[in-house]
Amino acid sequence: MYLKVDSLEKRYGAFDPSVSNLSFSLAQGELLGLLGPSGCGKTTTLRMISGMVAATSGRILVGGHDVTGLPTYRRNMGVMFQSYALFPHMTVAENVAFGLEMRKHSKHEIAKRVESALAMVRLNGVGDRKPRQLSGGQQQRVALARALVFEPDILLLDEPLSNLDAKLRDDMRNEIREIQQRLRMTTIFVTHDQTEAMAICDRIVVMNKGRLEQIGTPHEIYETPATPMVADFVGRINRLKGTWRSDGAIDINGSMTIRASRPGARGAPVLVMVRPHRIGLVASGSAIPSAEHENVLAGTIRQVTYIGDTLQYSVEAAGARILVEKATTSAGDPFQSGAEVLLHWSEQDTLTFAADGER
Amino acid sequence: MIRGSMMLQGLIRTFQLLAIAAILAFLLAPVLLVFPISFSADAYVSWPPSGWSTKWYVALLENDEMLEAFRNSFLLALYVTVLTLLIATPAAVALARSTFVGRDTLISIFTAPLLLPSIVLGLAILIIFVGQGLVGTWPGMILGHLVITLPYALRVLLTGLGTLPMFVEDAAGTLGAHPLTVFRRITLPLMTPALVATGALSFIVSFDEVVISLFIAGTQLKLLPVSLYHYVESRTDPLVAAVSAIMVLGTLLIVLIMERAMGLRRTVAK
Repeated sequence: MYLKVDSLEKRYGAFDPSVSNLSFSLAQGELLGLLGPSGCGKTTTLRMISGMVAATSGRILVGGHDVTGLPTYRRNMGVMFQSYALFPHMTVAENVAFGLEMRKHSKHEIAKRVESALAMVRLNGVGDRKPRQLSGGQQQRVALARALVFEPDILLLDEPLSNLDAKLRDDMRNEIREIQQRLRMTTIFVTHDQTEAMAICDRIVVMNKGRLEQIGTPHEIYETPATPMVADFVGRINRLKGTWRSDGAIDINGSMTIRASRPGARGAPVLVMVRPHRIGLVASGSAIPSAEHENVLAGTIRQVTYIGDTLQYSVEAAGARILVEKATTSAGDPFQSGAEVLLHWSEQDTLTFAADGER
Repeated sequence: MIRGSMMLQGLIRTFQLLAIAAILAFLLAPVLLVFPISFSADAYVSWPPSGWSTKWYVALLENDEMLEAFRNSFLLALYVTVLTLLIATPAAVALARSTFVGRDTLISIFTAPLLLPSIVLGLAILIIFVGQGLVGTWPGMILGHLVITLPYALRVLLTGLGTLPMFVEDAAGTLGAHPLTVFRRITLPLMTPALVATGALSFIVSFDEVVISLFIAGTQLKLLPVSLYHYVESRTDPLVAAVSAIMVLGTLLIVLIMERAMGLRRTVAK
């Protein structure tokens, strides 16, 4: 592993630690996402890795060398800031050249590398301008070029896309990924947006309240979340509270029976979670396809919300409200509010968590 | 109805303009009157002057005491300004960039002299300086003025540092710049407007300071505000108007420089 973060902790005074017992590692060329709600400690972690904030305890290793005690300016890590942090009194070219100047490269070498770095982010010809004369997207590219031009060991991106508008954000996201893969740059990408993280990261660390909740590929994080927090954070989800029965099924309110692929201990309280778009919806009385491993529930539609690409149904079933999502078609809305329906979803899509394990 | 309310609005507007004109006249009249009076041909300050001449400017140039006082005050303000910048800049950076317990309290204490009447400060400084033999000496004068310029400087510089764009210093660090290089290449250029403003303010405050100078200048060290003060005690000729006119123009020049610097900040930051 190229970058290793080992039992990292950050405390400010007597408060609960901002980051505690955090360990993960990255292979060379890997893009790892640090995902979590605001205040979860992801930016503090990034600042500890870059040396801008001193760790209270724990170690950071790059290529086998302990860098925990090194000051920022000797760590050789490129950082892209959320606010870009371009030097307003320098031109674009001077901004990009700064890292090379600090490394005492020759004038000729600097000019050559600045030019190719600006070409890499498709900003040829703006080298003489001041940052404030550029658009937000262009400033972003300058920041990326500045962070990469001196060939850092690690690239750290702190919420790099959150100041851009939605359309530009997707383009820039893919561009960052493309450049990162081309350079095989070991990269950490901090974000609070699960779509962003899912779209470009090789693996994701989900953080909550300063702790690691789960580390895994986007697929693992989404399909087999380790905790209710992760399940909740990476997409919309239905929550039901129940109890494990002796036959391995789950009883909910005594009025509903659900089966999951992994049964739990008898009598234990259980939290059941199902993603809205994994639930099938048919008219009451219809046959359910492959009903053997399906959970089937009768219900009444109480509310229909049309949001363009999806239809959201709020269904009342067994005393609970269950959200169901379906992709829209040109044929229009098959169910109206008040319709009697059957809900069905597979045992594999039934996520279960020990109810007392909820954080 | 509508017509009536429009007339009323017109009246209110006229009244507002008149009020603003009155306030401006009240504030500026003494400053502006100094100029015609300084060109008076009379032997005493009177309005309107009975004739015009430049004889009081000539008299000023022939008044050795005033010239010496002017030179001393100018030099003193210069020394004080340089020292203020040298002391206040690192202090402000340290206070703005580090977080430690009691930091806010420390800032309050450092800027407290701004709230004290200068007669209290002057007396306190005199009591200490008499024992040290600093009264009427250059070091004593400089120290005395630093007591009042440093709090101003600290305030302006702290505000200036507070408006620096976020994280640019951190960014320079990640690019491989040693903290001293970060200060020289990033912090210092970005706080130049604040430094210019601080310098101008220190110079004006020191040059114009009467009370503290009265207490500790003694009789040997002649300073312009003190000499002027003594001059008008015994005489009422327009010479003081000539001195005042020059001081007003000088101050105006410094304010213009400050304004340029502030305008500069608006273009640099962002």
